[in-house]
Amino acid sequence: MDCERFDRLVLDLLYEELDELTDASAKRHVEQCARCRGILAGLRATREVGSLPLVDPPAGLELAILDAERRARDELPLRQRLGRGVSVLAGYAMRPQLAMAALLLLAIGSSLMFFRARPGDRSSMSVTERGVPESDNDSVAVLPAASRGRADDAHGPPTVESTPEARKEQALGARPAAAPAAELDQAESPGDSAFQAALAALRNGRYKEAREQFESVATRGGSEAPAAAFHAAEAARSEQGCAEAARLFDQVPFQYPGTLAGYDATFQAAACYESLGDVEKARRNYQALLDEPNYGPRARSALDQLERSADPVAVASRRAKAAAKTLSDDQGEAKPGVAAGAAPPAGNTSPAAEPQKNTIQQAPASVKH
Amino acid sequence: MAAAPGDATDETLMVRYQRGDRAAFATLVRRHHRPLYNYVLRQLRKPQAAEDVTQEIFLRVVENANEFKHEARFSTWVYTIARNLCIDQLRKAVHRRHPSLDQPLGPGDEQSALGERVADARPVGDAERTAASSQMMTIVTQLLDTMPDEQREVFLLREVANLPFREIAVVTGVAENTVKSRMRYALDRLRTALSDFEEYARALR
Repeated sequence: MDCERFDRLVLDLLYEELDELTDASAKRHVEQCARCRGILAGLRATREVGSLPLVDPPAGLELAILDAERRARDELPLRQRLGRGVSVLAGYAMRPQLAMAALLLLAIGSSLMFFRARPGDRSSMSVTERGVPESDNDSVAVLPAASRGRADDAHGPPTVESTPEARKEQALGARPAAAPAAELDQAESPGDSAFQAALAALRNGRYKEAREQFESVATRGGSEAPAAAFHAAEAARSEQGCAEAARLFDQVPFQYPGTLAGYDATFQAAACYESLGDVEKARRNYQALLDEPNYGPRARSALDQLERSADPVAVASRRAKAAAKTLSDDQGEAKPGVAAGAAPPAGNTSPAAEPQKNTIQQAPASVKH
Repeated sequence: MAAAPGDATDETLMVRYQRGDRAAFATLVRRHHRPLYNYVLRQLRKPQAAEDVTQEIFLRVVENANEFKHEARFSTWVYTIARNLCIDQLRKAVHRRHPSLDQPLGPGDEQSALGERVADARPVGDAERTAASSQMMTIVTQLLDTMPDEQREVFLLREVANLPFREIAVVTGVAENTVKSRMRYALDRLRTALSDFEEYARALR
């Protein structure tokens, strides 16, 4: 330290406001420098001589202040008192214990997000995917627990073939049960016994009876009419094939426009027409669904596939197969014995026939979640 | 475990008082009312006015307790209040044509009696020492009264209130170096006035 710096720091040294290092440095300089030592000694002497002793305040001053404080607190405006109350509450709110408790609650609350419900066979918890016409193997139907169990026992889990043809057949089959789920939910109210009876007949393979009962429900009208009309067409497909079913499916959207059953029926009608080789009608029906949010992508996909396969040879082949099927059906009705022996079963010739049976079989193939 | 009121810092006591702890306020009063009274007394030179202003300082503390922030120094805050109240009182005194602080005081004035009273408060030794001490205190008191306001203010805040220069700078609103310069001037004046007594002061050590 030099004298110039000492002059700047001399008051801090005098009043002991220097940090330890600077204080030691200044003191070392003072020991070595007579000038600075003289300045510091003079200031110390002046301070000592000129120090002002404190006068005792009047005896009652402290008590007077405390008394004034008490009165002042009582007279504080409401706003200030409220502010003080808020300050007290804020003081408590800032206590470490409260902060730790809040942190603990936050940790517990956030950990609850990682819990999930245990999967179980609870009828109140079913996950449904619907509005997906061409589902591969994830089609889920919501059915009552009792019927779901019965259906599982009867048919077992669905088997899925990976060929495009099989996917189309399954689309034809799996879709109807899940399709008008909203209507089904509505119709499956305990009071609607006719609809329930028709549904039971459909599931048990009594297609003719089911069709009649569904048509009766549809004729009667009401909230379940669209679903009933759809299921009637479905029963007709299982019973008589796509030629009859396509006509019935086609009627549903005109009778019940804007309903889910109507959209599903349009798609099923298209699939039926496609299987019958009637590319124009199939295309028209798929196109009608392109603008529908729930059906557009699937309709587009089906339409693309239709266009790819709509070469003249394939169309002719399908038409020939459809004609042969119609002929064999007519012969089968007239001569059952001959049909069984000479012609293969309709389900083996028509690509849609076997899946049409699966339509009902896969309806209860619910995936339990 | 909370510290006892007597051990807690001023700032902690003030926060406790904000939460309604009146014992904390009583501790603050006990700790600060004496230096505050002396600071005000040296500024106003009237015991009754000093008593009233000291009481008023603590009333301001009560009224503005919510505005005190824990980060601030209580001593800085309370001496800022004291300084402002003294300035108000001195302005009123000027309007009432009271003698200015810069005017030299006459021998029969009340302020001379104050210096003598202060001198008498020192420990009493032998007669010669008491007489010298009394004489020095009279000189110091007269010198303080003739000192420029800004120098006297800094001198009192440093010697009576025992505030560090950094806090004095905050209270007075000037730079710390300015505070030190004023203090140096005040000490130089005092040294010149007490040059006759310096040898005596050295002898006392």
